Amino acid sequence: MKKSKDHAACSGCSLCLLVCPMWRQHRDISLTAHGYAKALQHGAAAADLAAALWNCTLCAACDPVCPEQIDVTGMILNLRRQLVHPHAQDLQARMEGQTTRSPATQSTAASVLLPDPALREHPGTLARIAALLGIAVAEDDGADIALALEAGVTIPPHRLKRFLDPLRRLDKIIVAEGLLLKHLRLWLPKVRIVSLGEALSSHAAVRRSLRATDLYVIEPRAYHADYQRLVRHYDGLRVASGSAFNLDLQRIAIPATACSLPQRSEVNMADDEGRACWMLHGRKVSRIVVESMADRTLLAKVSGVPVVHLAEVAADA
Amino acid sequence: MKIIDRQPVSQVTAVMPASPGFPVIEPGTLGACPVAPDALRGIKRQQTNPARWNGQGWQEFAVAIRDCGIELREHVAARGTFVTDAGGTAYGLPHGVVIARSAAQVADLLRAAQQHRVPVTVRGGGLTTEGESVAFGGVLLDMTGMSRVLHVDTDALTVRTEAGIFWHSLAEELRRQGMDYLSAPLNLTSSVGGTLGVGGIDVNSPRLGCSADQALALQVVTPTGEIMECSDTQNAELFRRVILGYGQFGVITEATLGIRRYTPLRMHYFYYDTLRTAIEDLQMLDRNDASDYSGILTIMDCAVNLLVAFDTPEREAAFKANWQPQLRGHGESGFALCMLKRYALRPWKLSEAWYLLQRKRELFPELQRPEYMRDGLMFERSVVFSRAVWKFWGSRQMVIPDLATSAEKFVAAVERGNAVCRKYFPHYTLYMVGIKLRPEHRPHYEMSCIPPDAEGWAYGCEFEPMLDGRVYSRDYFQSFKNAIYDIGVGMGASYYRFGGMMKGYIRRVFGDEVVDRHLAMKRKADPAMILNRDVIF
Repeated sequence: MKKSKDHAACSGCSLCLLVCPMWRQHRDISLTAHGYAKALQHGAAAADLAAALWNCTLCAACDPVCPEQIDVTGMILNLRRQLVHPHAQDLQARMEGQTTRSPATQSTAASVLLPDPALREHPGTLARIAALLGIAVAEDDGADIALALEAGVTIPPHRLKRFLDPLRRLDKIIVAEGLLLKHLRLWLPKVRIVSLGEALSSHAAVRRSLRATDLYVIEPRAYHADYQRLVRHYDGLRVASGSAFNLDLQRIAIPATACSLPQRSEVNMADDEGRACWMLHGRKVSRIVVESMADRTLLAKVSGVPVVHLAEVAADA
Repeated sequence: MKIIDRQPVSQVTAVMPASPGFPVIEPGTLGACPVAPDALRGIKRQQTNPARWNGQGWQEFAVAIRDCGIELREHVAARGTFVTDAGGTAYGLPHGVVIARSAAQVADLLRAAQQHRVPVTVRGGGLTTEGESVAFGGVLLDMTGMSRVLHVDTDALTVRTEAGIFWHSLAEELRRQGMDYLSAPLNLTSSVGGTLGVGGIDVNSPRLGCSADQALALQVVTPTGEIMECSDTQNAELFRRVILGYGQFGVITEATLGIRRYTPLRMHYFYYDTLRTAIEDLQMLDRNDASDYSGILTIMDCAVNLLVAFDTPEREAAFKANWQPQLRGHGESGFALCMLKRYALRPWKLSEAWYLLQRKRELFPELQRPEYMRDGLMFERSVVFSRAVWKFWGSRQMVIPDLATSAEKFVAAVERGNAVCRKYFPHYTLYMVGIKLRPEHRPHYEMSCIPPDAEGWAYGCEFEPMLDGRVYSRDYFQSFKNAIYDIGVGMGASYYRFGGMMKGYIRRVFGDEVVDRHLAMKRKADPAMILNRDVIF
């Protein structure tokens, strides 16, 4: 496998700043991938960057724009692994708890959906997605593993094995959590791993239901994890539907809600409203269509127009 | 806005003597003439970094600015972020870093710096190549902290913005309102303030002039801490000195710029096997206002690309009817045949042909990525070109000497520069573009990249070696740059990058009278010579 480049390869071009939500909020290079890389090149250690590292929302926008092709998100996660997250013990206990539960029922389905916690909170929408895509919902969605990845907490091998073993025999896994998706591709190279956004937006009924006056909000993590392919997918969708997208001029997805662990555990507060307002700035839309349930409440609050999940637009038509 | 009414720089217009009566700067830090050929101490004409500031008075300064409520970062992680610039050959650490947050904060900082004689290096995008935005001690002022758009007037076609903003961020804001900037560097992360201070060249500069010509008004903090508004009609002398002033006469904190309605580009590429023919055709197009955008980019000196683009179908149609038939370049397939013939007759140069082919395979798809193109129109020129620039030309080191001449001297200057490139590097790229000059802005152009003998258009050529992972010494790079710059001295040309490590050329190029006059103005405006020390003075 080709070895990923690390901070040493950073030329300081600042392209990552242009797409970084933390940069937009704080205008402070030290809170960006550029800042981490340059500080590390000059001898700083992870501990010197702790506050900055916990600020990152892991939207992964910096990955596709890096001309040196540094695995920026990987670099940040590596650095986080050298720190101790305030909730590390809780996360360890949660993963241990998963391993002592009775094994998940073995499904005969060839494909499963791994929902994220925000989607779990909306069982009606989750059921609709499952019906629309004709797919089973996994009992073990790996939410604890996704949190551990974010927090830089070591995942116990037996927990990882328990999560992955039932997935190995599948043809396809649809994943709502973008960070987990990226890692599943590494862990299960023979299984087709697709984001929930891509799966739903490829569905004919959903595509037909999008309108030219919609703002379509792509979930950033999954999109940026497979940017070279998905930029074409969404460009085709844009041409077909005429909808506006939450993409900037570089075709990078502007995130709305920061649902990453540091924000959820209040280690750092992100300016969600500020980002949502920037996403909507200057756009005239009659409806917002979201891939991630986490964005729905926030965008409804700041936009004043109906906000629906992608799975719901087919029903609206 | 805080305006402090002291004697403004705008009153400093008289020619003043160079030495008597001016305050003594730190002994041993600056020589009698800070722009003498050997002004950077060390090996003559091979020296790179200036001497590091000795740190005298730093602690008192740090206390003073913290008392003003300014956050000063002294940790190595904060300082190390700014250890070099895009050139990657000049390395230096500031004693501390301040992120600019307001004009009042910058004014407080500069007043304290004058009092304690602490050098202040101002940095925007950090895209200098000669160490101009690297602090060799003192305080580094990171202007990107002031990077918000303040107001867009779509009727008057102007935007008011904080000057630390990247041009790309400005474009993002403008596009939401269907607008675009007029002329900006083909680089996403150049800052507005930094660009206005040095020029800024785009492929529409042959029609619209340099980026600095698009500035209508500025808010500037002078080196002694006055916050002043300036334009062609208000504090005009300060405006003249700050525009294209290489940061010597003030910190630009806000700018009002002309803007326009956004249009995608209709691109055309023509290929040449000689530099001379391509340049002659470029100049013919510029003279006749035949295109909205034009420029030359080479893969090799026998593979020269003339880029021509248009904002409207009418302009494109007029070009096709009137000017395209006069061009001597080929289309892509015609040029491929031309190259086939060339290398069939020169089989010993097959490795060169292989390089060309590889380069084409890598580069061309990047310039035609479908997400940025539709129906033959390019929608985001700055994104397309800037991503390509960083992907194919960017690296930890970038060395880009340049020559700027009148239209008449340009072919000879490029051919001589090309010969130097051939001598030093196996592969290199030349980027050439014209700059429409505005007669009413001639005072802005004094001691800048605009050569004094240029009329109508100036032309610039950047000579950029492809380092291809090879390691060269700084002295090798410096020797290369000197060889290019010596051509300029001999031809009466100018340069875009004459500051920082290349400042030893300033007197030779601009002459004593002009340099002494500017030095006198600088000493008057910046008594302790703290602002952007060693960039020029």
